[in-house]
Amino acid sequence: MTIDGTEIGRIDSTAAQHMTRDDLSVFIETPDLTAAPGDERDTLVLSMGPQHPSTHGVLRVMLRLDGETVLRAEPEIGFLHTGIEKQCENLFWQQAITVVERADYLAPLLNGLCYVLAAERLLGIKDIPPRAQVLRVMFAELTRIASHLVWLGTHAMDLGAQSIFMYAFEMRERILDIMEFVTGARMHQSWFRVGGLAIDVPKGFLAKMDDFIDRFPVRLTDIRRILEKNVIIMDRLVGVGAINARDAIAWGLTGPNLRASGIGYDVRKAYPYSGYEQYDFEVCTASAGDCYARFVVRLDEMHQAWRLIKQARERFPDGPVAIADRKIIPPPKTEIQHSMEALIHHFKLVSSGFNVPEGHLYQAVESPRGELGMYVTSAGGNKPWRVRWRPPSFYSLQALKALAPGNLVADVVAIIGSLDPVFGEVDR
Amino acid sequence: MADATALRAQTAALLPKLTLTLGADFLEAVSSEDMDELALLPGGLPAAAELLRANGFAMLLDIGCTDHLPLTPRFEVSYHFLKFDLDADAPDGRMNSSARPQEAGSAFVPARLRLRVFPDDLDPHVPSLARLWPSADWAEREVWDLFGVRFDGHPDLRRILMPDDWEGHPLRKDYPLRGLDRRFAPGGRTGAVPPVVTK
Repeated sequence: MTIDGTEIGRIDSTAAQHMTRDDLSVFIETPDLTAAPGDERDTLVLSMGPQHPSTHGVLRVMLRLDGETVLRAEPEIGFLHTGIEKQCENLFWQQAITVVERADYLAPLLNGLCYVLAAERLLGIKDIPPRAQVLRVMFAELTRIASHLVWLGTHAMDLGAQSIFMYAFEMRERILDIMEFVTGARMHQSWFRVGGLAIDVPKGFLAKMDDFIDRFPVRLTDIRRILEKNVIIMDRLVGVGAINARDAIAWGLTGPNLRASGIGYDVRKAYPYSGYEQYDFEVCTASAGDCYARFVVRLDEMHQAWRLIKQARERFPDGPVAIADRKIIPPPKTEIQHSMEALIHHFKLVSSGFNVPEGHLYQAVESPRGELGMYVTSAGGNKPWRVRWRPPSFYSLQALKALAPGNLVADVVAIIGSLDPVFGEVDR
Repeated sequence: MADATALRAQTAALLPKLTLTLGADFLEAVSSEDMDELALLPGGLPAAAELLRANGFAMLLDIGCTDHLPLTPRFEVSYHFLKFDLDADAPDGRMNSSARPQEAGSAFVPARLRLRVFPDDLDPHVPSLARLWPSADWAEREVWDLFGVRFDGHPDLRRILMPDDWEGHPLRKDYPLRGLDRRFAPGGRTGAVPPVVTK
């Protein structure tokens, strides 16, 4: 074909044949972000993300590939940074709970629990009513199951099992219904407060819990039967992304990721809070440290969480759900209507919060992703001076640098899924 | 918890050793409510870290920073450690048989320890621990990004949460909540941001 006498679209095949790879590389602009001295020239840099479906958030992984094998992986984070830690410093202690819960958006109540426990310890509150303690455990474990179900559904979908997503989300929907019934919100409930809970559970709560307790093991068994010995799941997960105990500890892995490498460290057992020492549950471990071990540990954990919920349901005591200290917890509406003092307390709490004595401490809870810690500093005022997160996903995602090399590109998807990072928490 | 006192005994025994190692860099040792802690100057951090590693503190749990602005020293870099008794001979780092849980389903309880390092106010910099604990890599980058505390010897100290061309360190107390009055426009227009309209 010619235009104005010039022939176009013709390829000079002889010239192309004689071009070597080195000549070609001049024309290829390589984003050399993960290049290191000594890297082979014959490798490829692949940018996975920031909008890749398997990253379950906004994550970019720069991969240096030799064929299909990963040589180096460098996760790039920060796309979801919302300055939660800065915002906490500018809100009253009680107000900050709403912001705190937005970090790990799959387990909001556990963020809130960690923050609330830290504030209570700084205030010296030790007499949280038993009903509040039991409800805290119950809802922490419900949150754990809901979070693991999201992980399970999306992880299985990454590996090509589409239907499990529906099984998992159907069960999660039941949990979110309970959450909505009790707290009025499906996510970001802000139900745990410094000094107890925001409101008591409504009538009909126990019937809903009993229904859930009956249904969940059946559905969990279904899911396990479909997935656990599934050939495709085994092929994709067994032996992939293995990390031994020494490296897992060095990279700061906690929670299911660490327990899958054979270290039975669980904050609920080691440094119990909210009365976890009174419950009978097992720390689930595996020894292989690969994606499959992490998979099985999380499935086991869901069963243990169900056992904890069942025990909490059995003991479920009567009584108040918050302490009686009116300097911390606002009085009930009925009291405000006829007591001037109660009205003043309410007004003071809403307009200027409460002061927390000077000090600093580290409080940790076992979130679905591992040890969620907060290093809280108080300068004595009505706002936290500093709330430093110890985000478990931040550290487990960092370990991708050690886990991905040597595996195939497709396995990176499986490894990210098995580490279960949540980017609200990674980036805060 | 039954062995809480035993755990404290482990760290309490370590504090005098750390104090001796640090010499002039030692500030104070406190047995806080949550864990034992040690305050020191940045110069003593490498020696303290080596000693902790030799004593089984195999996990660097977290590195955080606090800005105590009107006070001096202004910056506090906090390190939290966990003690795991790993079997030095086992190639894959199994637990020592004495420290391993005896029955299946039981838990391991690691001791905790905190170091608080107080760098200089005007030119804050602290030795990096990224060569000793790989988990320190991102944690130190985050402290640099948000507080502007430099980590000497870090292999790749660049911003991690904020954009690469961001100005300032947002978690400092003198950094306004709404950000600096500047437009963030890489390769675009620069200059003052139009005023924020509030109701």
